Amino acid sequence: MDYLSIANGRVLYILASIVIIVVIIQSVLFLRMSWKRGISIGISKTKLKETVKTSAFFAIVPSIPIVIALIAISPVLGLPFSWMRLSVIGSQSYEMIAAKIGASSMGIANLTDPGYTAQVFSNSMWVMSVGIIWGLVLSIFALKKYQNRMKIVQKKDSKWAEIMVNALFFGMLSVFFGEPIVSGGLSLLVLLSSAAIMLFITWIAKITGKQWIRDFALSVSMIAGMAFAILFSNLGAV
Amino acid sequence: MSSLSYQDRVHKIGRITASIVLILIFVVPATISIVYNIFPPADKLLLGIGMVCMVYIPISIAEFLTYTPMLGSSATYLVFVTGNLTNLKIPCALTCMVNAEVAPQTEEAEIIATISVAVSSLVTILIIFIGMIALVPLSPLLSSEVLKPAFSQILPALFGAMGGYWILKQWKLAVTPILVIVLLYIFLPIPSGVEGALIPVMGLISVFSAKLLYKKGFIKSIEN
Repeated sequence: MDYLSIANGRVLYILASIVIIVVIIQSVLFLRMSWKRGISIGISKTKLKETVKTSAFFAIVPSIPIVIALIAISPVLGLPFSWMRLSVIGSQSYEMIAAKIGASSMGIANLTDPGYTAQVFSNSMWVMSVGIIWGLVLSIFALKKYQNRMKIVQKKDSKWAEIMVNALFFGMLSVFFGEPIVSGGLSLLVLLSSAAIMLFITWIAKITGKQWIRDFALSVSMIAGMAFAILFSNLGAV
Repeated sequence: MSSLSYQDRVHKIGRITASIVLILIFVVPATISIVYNIFPPADKLLLGIGMVCMVYIPISIAEFLTYTPMLGSSATYLVFVTGNLTNLKIPCALTCMVNAEVAPQTEEAEIIATISVAVSSLVTILIIFIGMIALVPLSPLLSSEVLKPAFSQILPALFGAMGGYWILKQWKLAVTPILVIVLLYIFLPIPSGVEGALIPVMGLISVFSAKLLYKKGFIKSIEN
């Protein structure tokens, strides 16, 4: 039996749909809970609505590369499993690597090798599933303890807690600066142009005092940076 | 309302929903194995699991330690179920927190972060669904040569924009991590794709230098 008839079969579609529906329910549940709590502790409805608008608009563009990843992995892993993995937990970069490990542990070097059978597919699924659970396991068993400790830090010195969180973010940010700064080229040009656009939009928001400009600043700067990437590569600048 | 505090309720609901998803993750391959009677040989399976765990257990621990303080409890439960942290959820949630003018690790911040993660997850799920249904007409468009540079440069575009804003606001915190990462990239051959592993390392370096700056009085507080 060709494994793709399993990988694109009805059973897998049903399973994938169940998982995705559960995650949708969970998201809605948390959304409702936070919204209610937000109102009851005095966050204005305007602020909550702005958060919804900003997030909904921002999420559109970074979701498109995930669709591109779907196009890339679905010929090998089938559409339903790829759909489920990319909608839930996984990330573009993780899925390919994990699928390859699943195949190579069965002695298959490439995902397109003719030796990729139903058994290899099943192995890939198991390996990918076990690989992805750890963030979830940690949340279930360690999050409460970890957060209680963070709260102690916050109570002891709220200024330091705030600085620490910002420093953590700068650590993350710096990782994406290293390569462009050192190698230059298109990435550096894009990095600098979207930074410049962001600063410009933020400045406009400041002098006009319009909150909605600030809400869309990040999305618009990112999209403009991507447009510059097309422009620069067509100009042959790099 | 029940007698549980809000935080206790968050942990309870978070743990229950995360556990359900955890079980479902295994239900998927198990059902396929049983229905079609395809079981991978145990030794090969364990080898694969060993390999994948060697890579992803350390990364998950690091991600958990780095992102939890930024997001707070309820958003963390959600983010480890819905995924796509670095390229989507974290930048989105942090931007919303700044715009709403809430300080990290406060309950207000946790609420804003959770709403942001929930809404962006729903949007992503919707877009992937549209992408799946319209896969055939969309494929040539999305993989077109013209658009290629735009999507390959999405991370520099995203982090350039975030960086420009944050560095201007708090340049003192940015100096050390950026200096260290530039030196790393100059002197070490770092292959692409290891960014995930570098994030916690740089986070640690950044926090350590921030602590020093704070103790010496160079940084007093975060100004919004």
